[in-house]
Amino acid sequence: MASSLFWYVREFFRAEWIRKFLFARTAPLVTPPHFRGFPEPTGRTCQHALFCMMACPAPGAIEVVHAGDGWMPKIHKGHCIRCGLCVEACPNGVLKSGRILETMEREGTSLIFSFRIAIDLELCTGCGNCCTACPVNKEADAQMGAGGHSSNDEVIMRVQDGDIVVIHEDKCTGCKTCEASCPNGAIRIARILEGSQEPVPEGVQ
Amino acid sequence: MSLLQRIKNKVRARSIHVAYVDVGSCNGCDIEVLACLAPRYDIEQYGIYVHNNPREADVLLVIGAYTPGWEEKLAMVWEKIPSPKAAIAIGNCPISGCLFNRRETFIDPPVRKHIPIAAEVPGCPPRPTEILQAILSVRDSVFFNWEAEHP
Repeated sequence: MASSLFWYVREFFRAEWIRKFLFARTAPLVTPPHFRGFPEPTGRTCQHALFCMMACPAPGAIEVVHAGDGWMPKIHKGHCIRCGLCVEACPNGVLKSGRILETMEREGTSLIFSFRIAIDLELCTGCGNCCTACPVNKEADAQMGAGGHSSNDEVIMRVQDGDIVVIHEDKCTGCKTCEASCPNGAIRIARILEGSQEPVPEGVQ
Repeated sequence: MSLLQRIKNKVRARSIHVAYVDVGSCNGCDIEVLACLAPRYDIEQYGIYVHNNPREADVLLVIGAYTPGWEEKLAMVWEKIPSPKAAIAIGNCPISGCLFNRRETFIDPPVRKHIPIAAEVPGCPPRPTEILQAILSVRDSVFFNWEAEHP
């Protein structure tokens, strides 16, 4: 009995334990660098493709705003859910978050946007508003008039014989200006986000 | 600074009592608050204790996008907390409504419209370290020298 009590007292009053008890320190509150934080700029130039805004699932989380001479995406904390889709969707690598960019490079993955133009010919009146509103059309053919007629073959779409014809669907940037300008809701732009991965070379895991 | 005030500051810095209230969240932030209690982050090593009783609490953690069921009730919970007190909004929902803030929903964010919020922790969900840091920052900014500044 006495020896057991002595054993316990000796065990509990070990110098190491007493030191630990008196000088216990709380763990530092650190976030490891590989954690996905709010996206930060890498320093590359923003080309104003707006793919980050199109990929973002949270309403009002990312906006591309004027910054000096160019553009820069701005993250709104309190809206952003740190999913990292804007980092992956950006074609120029403007944003970084955690080790998303390194992982994408190592695994050869990418998110690619493509756009389809769907026109309901039952609803379309052939007014040509979409052709005149389209910013890509404006650049390709500055002479395009109010009717949407054009002799230029470089435009995305134009009005021929009272009907709309889509010529270069691949030039569409997905801005949806045509949707907003259509009086009938006849034109719809589908934004298609495609994930792809390069095949892994033989012998590499 | 009086001796009594110094003792109060010392004690309050190591004894923050927390109540949390979920005003309509998806449970993600609740899980992160729960992770603060678990041994990995261990909220009690910072002297923060969870009670879930507003009459005993100093800090109210508000989680969620403020559904209509919480009108008046959240203010009631807030009034039951004795001063000095602070409320912290945890997650995106009490700040902006986040993913739930779409057309034809009944939620009414931000929560700072309804009760005064001392600190906001953005994130969906925020990390346990961020929640801990917010509570610790409120401890220093709200409770330090309370009696001297509010005679």
